[in-house]
Amino acid sequence: MELFTYTFVQYAFFGGTAMAILAGVLGPFVVQSKQSVASDMFAHVALAGIGGALVLGFAPWWGALPALLIVSSLMWWLQDSHSYSPDSLAMFFLSGGLALALAFVHVAKNTTFSFENYLFGSILTLTKTDIVAIYISAVIVIALVWYFWYQLIGATREPIHITPHNNTSKIVLLVYFWVLALVVWIGIKTIGGLLIGALLVIPVLTVCNWTSSFKTLVFGSVIVSLLSMILGLLVALFIDIPPSSLIVGMAILLFIFQTLVKKFVFTS
Amino acid sequence: MNKKAITAQNISKKLGDRFILSEVSFSIKKGSLVALIGPNGAGKSTLVKILLGLDKKYEGSFSIDQNETIAYISQQESHDRFALPISVEEYLQVGVATQLRKRKIKKEDMIASLKHVELPSKILSQSFGTLSGGERQRVAIARALMIEPTILVLDEPLAAVDFGARDGLYKLIRHLQQDHSITTLLISHDVQSIIPISDEILCLNQTIHGGCHPLAFIAGKYESHQGVHHHC
Repeated sequence: MELFTYTFVQYAFFGGTAMAILAGVLGPFVVQSKQSVASDMFAHVALAGIGGALVLGFAPWWGALPALLIVSSLMWWLQDSHSYSPDSLAMFFLSGGLALALAFVHVAKNTTFSFENYLFGSILTLTKTDIVAIYISAVIVIALVWYFWYQLIGATREPIHITPHNNTSKIVLLVYFWVLALVVWIGIKTIGGLLIGALLVIPVLTVCNWTSSFKTLVFGSVIVSLLSMILGLLVALFIDIPPSSLIVGMAILLFIFQTLVKKFVFTS
Repeated sequence: MNKKAITAQNISKKLGDRFILSEVSFSIKKGSLVALIGPNGAGKSTLVKILLGLDKKYEGSFSIDQNETIAYISQQESHDRFALPISVEEYLQVGVATQLRKRKIKKEDMIASLKHVELPSKILSQSFGTLSGGERQRVAIARALMIEPTILVLDEPLAAVDFGARDGLYKLIRHLQQDHSITTLLISHDVQSIIPISDEILCLNQTIHGGCHPLAFIAGKYESHQGVHHHC
């Protein structure tokens, strides 16, 4: 219990809790849009933003945010007005973002900088400013998801069919991309860019066979995501393994557990 | 009632060197049910996409009064096994929220709409994916009715529904269309079933190779039908 008196441990749990809730809320929308790779794509774009911030002399994490918002808008525009498939666009921005990131770091000539903290997260090094930024962003995300709840379900589930001569779906899809970009921005600081996709997707897969409504699916995903985060962080305090890998590991264990329960306990 | 709900003038769409649609002109009277038929590749779905504003690359023009509210029901594909769960209640809410920008609709309105399509209120809490094909299309029709459409476009709505259930559903569509005076455009390959319930027939047929095969069948079989527009 003495560990919890340390500020860095408290900040890790505060930041992790916000991340877990956001991942649980947004995950079902990401999975049903069939663009799960988009979170990876945004993570790589964030690296380009971080590299750009290094060149300009700004704090790296803050440089990721404008890059994410710009690319999310571009992604939405290209999908809507051109005949490019979402996965090919995702690969385009993913590889482009990484290439740009490497170039920027080279130009910045910052020999001590490493992308590792942003690829795999640095949840144990969160500061008070980081926590404030994370919670303000979380409130924005939750407010937007709550306000556009049914429209977001429609826009990510069946964007074409239900809105003739009505641009609501397209506008809501843009909001969805911005919200996802914001969640990835928080994710690269906490769980890491390469693993944020796991926290978005695995809880949804764990819960989806046990629910009959989208609302209960979101609720269940939040629970699984929170469990994974808390258990992963607790274990990370005692064993020398990166917290983000333990958090994803816990999510995977929960998925395996529900699969076994479904197969051996509930088979008819 | 002779007022026109939809008027199309010389609509053409080309893909490469090939005309998908070539100078299609027609008008649909308010409150009528028009069957849109034609062989595969005749351009039925393309025409529907243009009318719905989903395809803006075409020549010609069409007019739909801006006060008209359009609802669209497409073919419910055989249940996507990767689809995430959604309850019937949420399915109804999604359609209305997206179309009317309303945040939420009352449960009583949903129950009333389900009654129109002969479904019980207890279905609201069920998962949409566990319903039969016929039940899913009834729910889709209920969802369309909730936005109080003045124009309803149905594109192969019963293609994924068992044969045994189709006649009943076509009759239901006709019954609701007449009760609510909804201008309806019904696209289907089910010519035998939709012609008896239609006020008019719009037949598209690509004539690059000549021939007008569905028209001869229709003219021979249903001579008493009013107004058969054809594009040969």
